[in-house]
Amino acid sequence: MPTYLPTRKEIRDLLVDLLGREVTLNQSAPFAPGPSEPATLAVYVDDHLQTSAVVVCDLAFSALVGAAIGLVPLAGAEAAIEAQELPQTISENLAEVLNIASSLFNAPEHEHMKLHEVRPAAKGGMAINDRFLALTLGRREDLSIDIAGYGHGLLSIVLVR
Amino acid sequence: MKIIVADDSRVMRQIVVRTLRQAGFTGHDVLEAENGKQCLDMVLAEQPGLVLSDWNMPEMNGIDCLQSLRAAGSQVPFGFVTSEGSDDMRARAASAGALFLIAKPFSAETFQEHLGGIL
Repeated sequence: MPTYLPTRKEIRDLLVDLLGREVTLNQSAPFAPGPSEPATLAVYVDDHLQTSAVVVCDLAFSALVGAAIGLVPLAGAEAAIEAQELPQTISENLAEVLNIASSLFNAPEHEHMKLHEVRPAAKGGMAINDRFLALTLGRREDLSIDIAGYGHGLLSIVLVR
Repeated sequence: MKIIVADDSRVMRQIVVRTLRQAGFTGHDVLEAENGKQCLDMVLAEQPGLVLSDWNMPEMNGIDCLQSLRAAGSQVPFGFVTSEGSDDMRARAASAGALFLIAKPFSAETFQEHLGGIL
Protein backbone atom coordinates (compact mmCIF):
# COMPACT_ATOMS: atom_id res chain seq x y z
CA MET A 1 0.00 0.00 0.00
CA PRO A 2 1.33 3.47 -0.78
CA THR A 3 2.09 6.02 1.90
CA TYR A 4 -0.42 8.84 2.03
CA LEU A 5 0.78 12.40 1.45
CA PRO A 6 -1.52 14.64 3.51
CA THR A 7 -3.16 17.65 1.88
CA ARG A 8 -2.47 21.22 2.92
CA LYS A 9 -6.00 21.49 4.34
CA GLU A 10 -5.48 18.40 6.51
CA ILE A 11 -2.20 19.83 7.84
CA ARG A 12 -3.81 23.19 8.56
CA ASP A 13 -6.85 21.63 10.29
CA LEU A 14 -4.59 19.53 12.51
CA LEU A 15 -2.54 22.54 13.58
CA VAL A 16 -5.59 24.75 14.15
CA ASP A 17 -7.25 22.07 16.31
CA LEU A 18 -4.05 21.44 18.27
CA LEU A 19 -2.96 25.03 18.79
CA GLY A 20 -6.38 26.61 19.13
CA ARG A 21 -5.29 29.59 17.02
CA GLU A 22 -5.26 30.67 13.40
CA VAL A 23 -2.64 29.07 11.17
CA THR A 24 -1.79 30.12 7.60
CA LEU A 25 0.00 27.83 5.17
CA ASN A 26 1.87 28.85 2.02
CA GLN A 27 3.82 26.70 -0.36
CA SER A 28 7.56 27.22 -0.10
CA ALA A 29 10.66 25.95 -1.87
CA PRO A 30 11.83 22.49 -0.72
CA PHE A 31 13.43 22.91 2.69
CA ALA A 32 17.13 22.08 2.34
CA PRO A 33 18.87 22.45 5.72
CA GLY A 34 22.49 23.55 5.41
CA PRO A 35 25.31 21.50 7.00
CA SER A 36 25.23 23.46 10.25
CA GLU A 37 21.59 24.55 10.22
CA PRO A 38 19.59 23.25 13.20
CA ALA A 39 16.40 21.48 12.13
CA THR A 40 14.09 18.88 13.65
CA LEU A 41 13.57 15.51 11.99
CA ALA A 42 10.65 13.25 12.87
CA VAL A 43 10.82 9.71 11.53
CA TYR A 44 7.62 7.78 10.73
CA VAL A 45 7.63 4.03 10.19
CA ASP A 46 5.16 1.50 8.85
CA ASP A 47 4.07 -1.64 10.69
CA HIS A 48 7.30 -3.37 9.56
CA LEU A 49 9.36 -0.55 11.12
CA GLN A 50 10.49 0.66 7.69
CA THR A 51 11.02 4.39 7.48
CA SER A 52 8.32 5.67 5.14
CA ALA A 53 8.18 9.40 5.78
CA VAL A 54 9.93 12.18 7.63
CA VAL A 55 8.74 15.57 8.79
CA VAL A 56 11.37 18.28 8.86
CA CYS A 57 10.90 21.54 10.75
CA ASP A 58 13.31 24.45 10.71
CA LEU A 59 14.45 25.84 14.05
CA ALA A 60 11.86 28.62 13.98
CA PHE A 61 8.87 26.35 13.39
CA SER A 62 10.20 23.84 15.94
CA ALA A 63 10.39 26.53 18.62
CA LEU A 64 7.18 28.35 17.68
CA VAL A 65 4.89 25.31 17.45
CA GLY A 66 6.39 23.81 20.63
CA ALA A 67 5.72 27.08 22.43
CA ALA A 68 2.28 27.77 20.95
CA ILE A 69 0.77 24.38 21.86
CA GLY A 70 1.79 24.82 25.52
CA LEU A 71 1.02 28.56 25.67
CA VAL A 72 4.70 29.25 26.35
CA PRO A 73 5.14 33.02 25.79
CA LEU A 74 6.60 34.07 22.44
CA ALA A 75 9.71 35.34 24.23
CA GLY A 76 10.49 31.73 25.24
CA ALA A 77 10.41 30.62 21.59
CA GLU A 78 12.50 33.60 20.51
CA ALA A 79 15.11 32.82 23.16
CA ALA A 80 15.29 29.22 21.92
CA ILE A 81 15.79 30.41 18.33
CA GLU A 82 18.50 32.82 19.45
CA ALA A 83 20.27 30.09 21.44
CA GLN A 84 19.74 27.50 18.68
CA GLU A 85 18.61 25.01 21.36
CA LEU A 86 15.12 23.91 22.33
CA PRO A 87 14.46 23.88 26.07
CA GLN A 88 13.00 20.62 27.40
CA THR A 89 9.40 21.84 27.62
CA ILE A 90 9.34 23.15 24.06
CA SER A 91 11.11 20.02 22.83
CA GLU A 92 8.57 17.72 24.55
CA ASN A 93 5.68 19.78 23.21
CA LEU A 94 7.10 19.63 19.69
CA ALA A 95 7.40 15.84 19.99
CA GLU A 96 3.72 15.65 20.98
CA VAL A 97 2.70 17.68 17.92
CA LEU A 98 4.77 15.38 15.71
CA ASN A 99 3.27 12.32 17.42
CA ILE A 100 -0.26 13.47 16.72
CA ALA A 101 0.81 14.38 13.18
CA SER A 102 1.17 10.64 12.49
CA SER A 103 -2.63 10.65 12.11
CA LEU A 104 -2.15 12.70 8.93
CA PHE A 105 -0.66 9.66 7.18
CA ASN A 106 -3.27 7.19 8.33
CA ALA A 107 -5.80 7.56 5.54
CA PRO A 108 -7.93 4.56 4.55
CA GLU A 109 -6.34 2.22 1.99
CA HIS A 110 -2.84 3.52 2.77
CA GLU A 111 0.11 2.24 4.77
CA HIS A 112 -0.41 2.50 8.54
CA MET A 113 2.22 4.78 10.05
CA LYS A 114 3.42 5.75 13.48
CA LEU A 115 6.02 8.10 14.89
CA HIS A 116 9.28 6.26 15.56
CA GLU A 117 11.65 8.98 16.70
CA VAL A 118 12.07 12.74 16.94
CA ARG A 119 15.52 14.28 16.67
CA PRO A 120 15.00 17.87 17.82
CA ALA A 121 16.81 20.83 16.29
CA ALA A 122 20.16 21.40 17.97
CA LYS A 123 23.16 23.65 17.57
CA GLY A 124 25.61 22.31 14.99
CA GLY A 125 23.02 21.05 12.54
CA MET A 126 21.59 17.69 11.56
CA ALA A 127 23.42 14.40 11.09
CA ILE A 128 24.35 13.93 7.44
CA ASN A 129 21.99 10.97 6.98
CA ASP A 130 19.13 13.06 8.35
CA ARG A 131 19.96 15.82 5.87
CA PHE A 132 19.81 13.31 3.03
CA LEU A 133 16.39 12.15 4.21
CA ALA A 134 15.21 15.76 4.41
CA LEU A 135 16.42 16.40 0.87
CA THR A 136 14.59 13.44 -0.69
CA LEU A 137 12.88 14.60 -3.85
CA GLY A 138 9.55 13.35 -5.14
CA ARG A 139 6.38 13.21 -3.10
CA ARG A 140 6.71 15.98 -0.55
CA GLU A 141 4.87 19.01 0.78
CA ASP A 142 6.99 22.09 1.60
CA LEU A 143 5.25 24.77 3.57
CA SER A 144 5.83 28.11 5.21
CA ILE A 145 3.50 28.17 8.19
CA ASP A 146 2.44 31.26 10.12
CA ILE A 147 1.07 30.68 13.62
CA ALA A 148 -1.01 33.66 14.71
CA GLY A 149 0.62 35.51 17.59
CA TYR A 150 3.87 33.57 17.25
CA GLY A 151 5.33 33.86 13.74
CA HIS A 152 6.33 31.67 10.87
CA GLY A 153 8.69 28.84 10.07
CA LEU A 154 9.16 25.99 7.64
CA LEU A 155 7.72 22.48 7.70
CA SER A 156 8.24 19.78 5.10
CA ILE A 157 6.51 16.42 4.87
CA VAL A 158 8.67 14.07 2.84
CA LEU A 159 7.77 10.55 1.71
CA VAL A 160 10.98 8.58 1.52
CA ARG A 161 9.77 5.22 0.11
CA MET B 1 -17.92 16.60 39.25
CA LYS B 2 -14.42 15.17 39.61
CA ILE B 3 -12.80 14.40 36.23
CA ILE B 4 -9.50 12.53 35.85
CA VAL B 5 -7.43 13.36 32.77
CA ALA B 6 -4.75 10.71 32.16
CA ASP B 7 -1.99 11.32 29.60
CA ASP B 8 1.79 11.01 29.81
CA SER B 9 2.14 14.28 27.90
CA ARG B 10 1.77 17.32 30.12
CA VAL B 11 0.82 19.51 27.18
CA MET B 12 -1.89 17.08 26.08
CA ARG B 13 -3.38 17.13 29.58
CA GLN B 14 -3.40 20.93 29.33
CA ILE B 15 -5.13 20.76 25.95
CA VAL B 16 -7.78 18.33 27.19
CA VAL B 17 -8.50 20.62 30.15
CA ARG B 18 -8.59 23.67 27.84
CA THR B 19 -10.95 21.89 25.43
CA LEU B 20 -13.29 20.94 28.28
CA ARG B 21 -13.46 24.63 29.16
CA GLN B 22 -13.96 25.69 25.53
CA ALA B 23 -16.76 23.13 25.20
CA GLY B 24 -18.55 24.86 28.07
CA PHE B 25 -17.86 22.20 30.70
CA THR B 26 -16.69 24.52 33.45
CA GLY B 27 -16.75 24.29 37.23
CA HIS B 28 -15.47 20.72 37.42
CA ASP B 29 -12.64 19.50 39.61
CA VAL B 30 -10.00 18.18 37.18
CA LEU B 31 -7.28 15.83 38.45
CA GLU B 32 -4.33 14.78 36.29
CA ALA B 33 -2.62 11.39 36.03
CA GLU B 34 0.63 10.72 34.14
CA ASN B 35 0.04 7.04 33.37
CA GLY B 36 -2.52 4.26 33.64
CA LYS B 37 -1.31 3.02 37.02
CA GLN B 38 -1.59 6.47 38.55
CA CYS B 39 -5.03 6.83 36.95
CA LEU B 40 -6.16 3.47 38.37
CA ASP B 41 -5.04 4.39 41.90
CA MET B 42 -6.60 7.84 41.58
CA VAL B 43 -9.97 6.50 40.42
CA LEU B 44 -10.16 4.04 43.29
CA ALA B 45 -9.20 6.74 45.82
CA GLU B 46 -11.12 9.72 44.42
CA GLN B 47 -14.24 8.10 42.91
CA PRO B 48 -14.49 10.56 39.99
CA GLY B 49 -17.52 10.98 37.76
CA LEU B 50 -15.54 10.68 34.52
CA VAL B 51 -12.14 9.52 33.21
CA LEU B 52 -10.62 10.84 29.97
CA SER B 53 -7.58 8.73 29.17
CA ASP B 54 -4.86 8.42 26.56
CA TRP B 55 -4.26 4.90 25.20
CA ASN B 56 -0.46 4.60 25.02
CA MET B 57 1.13 5.47 28.34
CA PRO B 58 4.13 4.15 30.32
CA GLU B 59 3.70 1.94 33.43
CA MET B 60 0.16 0.91 32.42
CA ASN B 61 -1.64 1.77 29.19
CA GLY B 62 -5.18 3.07 29.01
CA ILE B 63 -6.92 -0.14 27.98
CA ASP B 64 -5.24 -2.10 30.79
CA CYS B 65 -6.27 0.64 33.21
CA LEU B 66 -9.90 0.38 32.08
CA GLN B 67 -9.89 -3.42 32.31
CA SER B 68 -8.35 -3.25 35.80
CA LEU B 69 -11.00 -0.77 36.89
CA ARG B 70 -13.82 -2.98 35.65
CA ALA B 71 -12.17 -6.02 37.28
CA ALA B 72 -12.07 -4.06 40.55
CA GLY B 73 -15.80 -3.35 40.24
CA SER B 74 -15.54 0.30 39.23
CA GLN B 75 -18.17 1.41 36.72
CA VAL B 76 -16.74 4.93 36.33
CA PRO B 77 -17.65 6.45 32.93
CA PHE B 78 -14.45 6.11 30.90
CA GLY B 79 -13.55 7.56 27.50
CA PHE B 80 -10.37 7.48 25.45
CA VAL B 81 -8.68 10.58 24.00
CA THR B 82 -5.90 9.14 21.91
CA SER B 83 -3.71 9.84 18.91
CA GLU B 84 -5.00 6.89 16.93
CA GLY B 85 -8.51 5.62 16.43
CA SER B 86 -8.34 2.47 14.32
CA ASP B 87 -11.41 0.23 14.02
CA ASP B 88 -9.59 -2.43 16.07
CA MET B 89 -8.87 0.02 18.89
CA ARG B 90 -12.45 1.28 18.88
CA ALA B 91 -13.73 -2.30 19.09
CA ARG B 92 -11.36 -3.14 21.96
CA ALA B 93 -12.33 0.05 23.78
CA ALA B 94 -16.04 -0.65 23.42
CA SER B 95 -15.77 -4.27 24.53
CA ALA B 96 -13.78 -3.21 27.61
CA GLY B 97 -16.55 -0.81 28.55
CA ALA B 98 -15.37 2.56 27.22
CA LEU B 99 -18.09 5.03 26.32
CA PHE B 100 -16.24 6.58 23.39
CA LEU B 101 -12.87 7.06 21.70
CA ILE B 102 -11.95 10.57 20.59
CA ALA B 103 -8.96 10.75 18.22
CA LYS B 104 -6.48 13.61 18.53
CA PRO B 105 -6.58 16.31 17.41
CA PHE B 106 -10.06 17.14 18.61
CA SER B 107 -12.26 20.19 18.83
CA ALA B 108 -14.60 21.63 21.45
CA GLU B 109 -17.49 20.42 19.26
CA THR B 110 -16.19 16.82 19.44
CA PHE B 111 -16.10 17.07 23.24
CA GLN B 112 -19.64 18.50 23.31
CA GLU B 113 -20.87 15.65 21.13
CA HIS B 114 -19.39 12.89 23.30
CA LEU B 115 -19.61 14.44 26.77
CA GLY B 116 -22.89 16.31 26.50
CA GLY B 117 -24.86 13.49 28.10
CA ILE B 118 -22.38 12.95 30.94
CA LEU B 119 -21.33 16.41 32.18
